[in-house]
Amino acid sequence: MAHGVIELNNVSKRYRLRRGWHVKSIRDEFERLARRLVRRGPPSQDDFWALKNVTFSLEKGEVLGLVGRNGAGKSTLLKILSQVTVPTVGSFVARGRLGALIEIGAGFHPELSGRENVFLNGSIMGMSRREVQEKFERIVAFAEIERFIDTPIKHYSSGQQMRLGFSVAAHVDPDILLIDEILAVGDASFQAKCLNKLAELKEDDKTIILVSHNLTNITEHAKRVVWLDNGSVRMIGEPNEVVDAYLEHVTSDGVGDVKSTEVNLDPDRDLAIGEVVVRNQKEVVQDRFDRGETALIDVSYVTRRAMPGVVFVVSIQDLHGYPLGGVATDPDSVKVNAAVEHGVLRLKLDPLLFTKGAYTLSVHAMDPVSKRYYDIRRRAARILIDGHRATSRESSGHIHYPHQWEHIR
Amino acid sequence: MLEVIGNTWRHWDLVLSFTLRDIKARYKQTSLGIAWAIVQPLSIMVVFTLVFSVFAKVPSDGLPYPIFAYNGLIFWTFFANSLTGGTLSMVANSPLIRKIYFPRETLLVSVLLASTFDLGIALLLFAVMLVYYKVALTITVLWVFPLLALQMVLTIGMTGLTSAAHVNYRDIGHALPLFTQLWMFGTPVAYPIRVIPEWLKPLYMLNPMAPIIDGYRRAFLLGQAPDLPALAVSAVVTIAVATLGLVVFKRAELTFADVI
Repeated sequence: MAHGVIELNNVSKRYRLRRGWHVKSIRDEFERLARRLVRRGPPSQDDFWALKNVTFSLEKGEVLGLVGRNGAGKSTLLKILSQVTVPTVGSFVARGRLGALIEIGAGFHPELSGRENVFLNGSIMGMSRREVQEKFERIVAFAEIERFIDTPIKHYSSGQQMRLGFSVAAHVDPDILLIDEILAVGDASFQAKCLNKLAELKEDDKTIILVSHNLTNITEHAKRVVWLDNGSVRMIGEPNEVVDAYLEHVTSDGVGDVKSTEVNLDPDRDLAIGEVVVRNQKEVVQDRFDRGETALIDVSYVTRRAMPGVVFVVSIQDLHGYPLGGVATDPDSVKVNAAVEHGVLRLKLDPLLFTKGAYTLSVHAMDPVSKRYYDIRRRAARILIDGHRATSRESSGHIHYPHQWEHIR
Repeated sequence: MLEVIGNTWRHWDLVLSFTLRDIKARYKQTSLGIAWAIVQPLSIMVVFTLVFSVFAKVPSDGLPYPIFAYNGLIFWTFFANSLTGGTLSMVANSPLIRKIYFPRETLLVSVLLASTFDLGIALLLFAVMLVYYKVALTITVLWVFPLLALQMVLTIGMTGLTSAAHVNYRDIGHALPLFTQLWMFGTPVAYPIRVIPEWLKPLYMLNPMAPIIDGYRRAFLLGQAPDLPALAVSAVVTIAVATLGLVVFKRAELTFADVI
């Protein structure tokens, strides 16, 4: 890969954290200068390495996915790729015209009309005015904004502004395209349009770097995936492999770190939730399941007095903590009385309807009348589902419904 | 320096877009519109006429004081506005700078061009005044073009320095209005150059704007060529400032996005 379209070689990026992080004071500057002149003393405590030794390259026409948690360095990497900033160490080469669907509409001026802003934004993104002129009709039509094109965009809705911004950026026709959160723009039908545009760009042999929290999009479109963790490349390779490892890592973090023996009931609390254990049908502890299998979730708790009416809720979240629903106990059938100091409740999920992926469980106990929480345990346990992924973007999501198809006519 | 010229040339459409944005946005939702480009120098001219001519009897090279002052003021306003606008331009466009790459000097050039547009508007009133005061233009008026070119190079160089400094130290934004005002009084805008005592003159003429503003006056109103030796000094200072300014700017530009 000596002649990749994009080459990053040992790229590191340092930021200086200091008081008033945006604006340096002249005094700080003198301190730094003094330190540099003397060349000793401890290295600054204020240094923060947002990227550490990142190396990879991309060939023409390749689609690279980028995953990582918030703060892992994705944005910094995109900034370097889009040449907004330079690496502190290491080298970076991009061959070809570079376009970014990152900060769409950043160059909009609120007082100017949609038309004027299309020209302004188009030239900021590297198009000539003539080029914008040629593409103008298409840009406006794509954004579905024809009626308001001569209105100052300060009167646009935020959705309209984003659509127009995306549309301009999508028509730049770059060789290398950086895309961040393509699905964050607009309503469902506009998102479909954006995804079609992405597919179109792929067909045109564009080199694309795709950042998305939607891992289905990543595995669907990318040929390779880079997993950034703490500023370093943790893994790079085949999309499904990397995404699976990433999921495993993200969901295991902080899960199940409370054991039942450690649960102490504070004097001012009435009830505490202890260990939450996931078992299979045969009551063996396990967190990997196939879709359609049965899972048992055992929730242990400690209490000191009878608590009529307490409700336990087990809720399920996707990787990003987005709630997928939960189930609550019926206070008439599940009664907590002080005779049992350590209780264990069992929830049976049968069958598991989730698509391939990782899910976390949160458990809380509450009084349904006063809405007072006795205890909350977030990310108390996890479930990994193997098998098929959501097959395409039309069926993306987390639930696979039991279903059958038939011809009725 | 060559890189800056090259970038400006290659990204001319972007410069143009920024310029149009600046001009259009500046006068949107104002009722006077582009007339504001005249109001500023005109009102200062009225004040100067009262203070310097009626009260203090400052000489004006035998010219009617209003046109004498207005001539200096429009070009000084051009300089001061583009200096201020250019200095603040990086921070004013920080959302862009943080997010999108484009040659940053296009902002400096576009601020200068937008101010040139205002200068053009202000010159319309100047033309009216030339007729009213029956000033006959001579061939020396052509000197205005090299003078303008010199002034523009100086402005770009200055704003290269000040805008880069402003990104790192916002103190610059506060100091600038004071600085330009002081500078104006160190430049023959409200008074003729000959009131400067001889012993001070060598120092005074180090101000690159002094022979330029004086030059406009000679070219338009007195039918004379500029003070060429003084202008040569000004040109040397200007080129030094511009070189330093652009070198500093191109170095600082790399980390604008990190500190802005």
